[in-house]
Amino acid sequence: MPDKNSDKEKSRREFLKQSGWAVVGIAVAGTGLLFIDKNNKNGAGQLLLRPPGVINEEDFLYACIKCGLCIQICPIHAIKLADADMGLSIDTPYIDARQQACDFSCDSLQCAETCPTAALDFIKFKETGVETAIELQPKIDAGEIDGGDVFKIAIANMKKAVHIGFAIVNEKSCLAVQGKGFKGTPRGSEFKGVLRYRDISASKAQLVSEQIFDREVCDLCVIHCPIEGAIQLKEQSPANGNKKWIPEVTETCTGCGVCEMVCPTEHASIVIKPGLSYEEAKNV
Amino acid sequence: MFRKIKDPLPAKSREEMPHAKLNMKYKDWINTHKKRHTWRIRRWTVLLFLNILFTLSFMFDLALLEGSLSGSRLLGFYLIDPYMAFQLFFISLKTDYLPHITMNFIIGLTTVLLFYLLMGGRTFCSWLCPYHFLAEWAEKLHNYLIKKKKIKEHVFQLGIRYVFWVGFLIIAFITERLIFETFNPVGMLSRILIYGPGLILIWIFILITFEIVYSKRFWCRYVCPVGSTWSLVGKISPMAIKFETDKCGHCRICHDACLTPHELWFVTKGKATDKIHHAGGDCTRCGNCVDICPGNALTYTFKGLDKII
Repeated sequence: MPDKNSDKEKSRREFLKQSGWAVVGIAVAGTGLLFIDKNNKNGAGQLLLRPPGVINEEDFLYACIKCGLCIQICPIHAIKLADADMGLSIDTPYIDARQQACDFSCDSLQCAETCPTAALDFIKFKETGVETAIELQPKIDAGEIDGGDVFKIAIANMKKAVHIGFAIVNEKSCLAVQGKGFKGTPRGSEFKGVLRYRDISASKAQLVSEQIFDREVCDLCVIHCPIEGAIQLKEQSPANGNKKWIPEVTETCTGCGVCEMVCPTEHASIVIKPGLSYEEAKNV
Repeated sequence: MFRKIKDPLPAKSREEMPHAKLNMKYKDWINTHKKRHTWRIRRWTVLLFLNILFTLSFMFDLALLEGSLSGSRLLGFYLIDPYMAFQLFFISLKTDYLPHITMNFIIGLTTVLLFYLLMGGRTFCSWLCPYHFLAEWAEKLHNYLIKKKKIKEHVFQLGIRYVFWVGFLIIAFITERLIFETFNPVGMLSRILIYGPGLILIWIFILITFEIVYSKRFWCRYVCPVGSTWSLVGKISPMAIKFETDKCGHCRICHDACLTPHELWFVTKGKATDKIHHAGGDCTRCGNCVDICPGNALTYTFKGLDKII
């Protein structure tokens, strides 16, 4: 029988008591945070737009170690850290497409390449790149393509393989649907967002607010889209004679958000739904 | 916990300490040593330099030290926080995520573990952790308030942090979320410094206030699993603080200056059992004791290396 009053016995009892409180604390923190997250509109379920290569949100929430390497490597600073109001997504990377979209002007999807935990998975892009190279090999041998261009084509294909969301058009507010044109700068002179306009400079990003457009029918989303053919204007001539155009998003949409960023209406008339696939979008 | 029980060496008398040769009183002689802060200056310089380097790397795109304290790239080499990695591994057991993890992750984790296996103890805490820097100032304020008798000290069992260490791994496994990382002040503060402040600053503020008014170094001593990982790794590390019983006059000013005083148990009169003792895994290798010891009884050492040189 140990002496109840000895120092060792006392500290043993203290330890057990405090361990009990520790366990209670951990359990409360765990369940509490999960509860808050389940009831948070920004928590798991209601998704944030994640950077390219993102695995499914359920896995992403634990696989992302919140190091911020993707944020640092993005050349146009499209990726941001989520704050505490995003529940358990706190300090994970996301893209606020309306403010600064991912325009795929980077060299090689570095955000996914740099991710140490493959929460942004680069492997599938790598496979796409390799496949492209293999496919092009006969053409290079025949002299149809310069060997140096293969890398460029491979990168372009890798970017097409990105799928982080899908663009949904709001036909009520879209200017093209109303048959309206657009003159001026898309988001006003105060807007801070940048894009790389290839015909101006291949390397330097330009302020969107410095670009002036004059379109007979507003098709800013179409001309800005970095993926060829991901969005088209479909002309429709209803019986009453008022011509209208409907932007149609095709299967190749990657969800990068450039269209959402440049849309000139007060609230974007085209919005990226994170994680949405083409099939799901058709059923909506 | 597993110390061999030996009879303590007979305590050395104060008369043999160097002050006798200088014809000084022991107390006066000790007072002449109180103002040296060589190691503390070095340590704070390293701490601030590295944390600012993180920020500058992001601000000016320097590619020197990117990322944050939970995962970073030093000149291109990955470094991963082990406790973060353990949580991820634990969850992966359940979800088969493990094969996806990149080689860079494994390399980064191994590098960090090897580094602290050599450089030992909670070196990370006092030389790198931004929260530790805040908590050090909080500790000073706390000590001041104690001295003025405005507040009372509250002490807990040091062992409970291993309960937290295991507990946070288990809760991660159950919930499949990095629960601990949503309120880990180390990573939080590191990211705040690099990417700008957020709402989570409120939590840091609450923690620091709690440490000032209630319990000294509450988070670091009794909770922080990141630090506990280093304690475990550092138990066998060769880089340590060496204590030479012969040179000690038992004035205990090192004990007052120490950030983890329980590791300096051997400086108390009649406790030392060997001629040489090494501070254990909890020691942060901060060098406060090395700075302050009047008899140079405490020094940095690299076990094994000092015999060769």
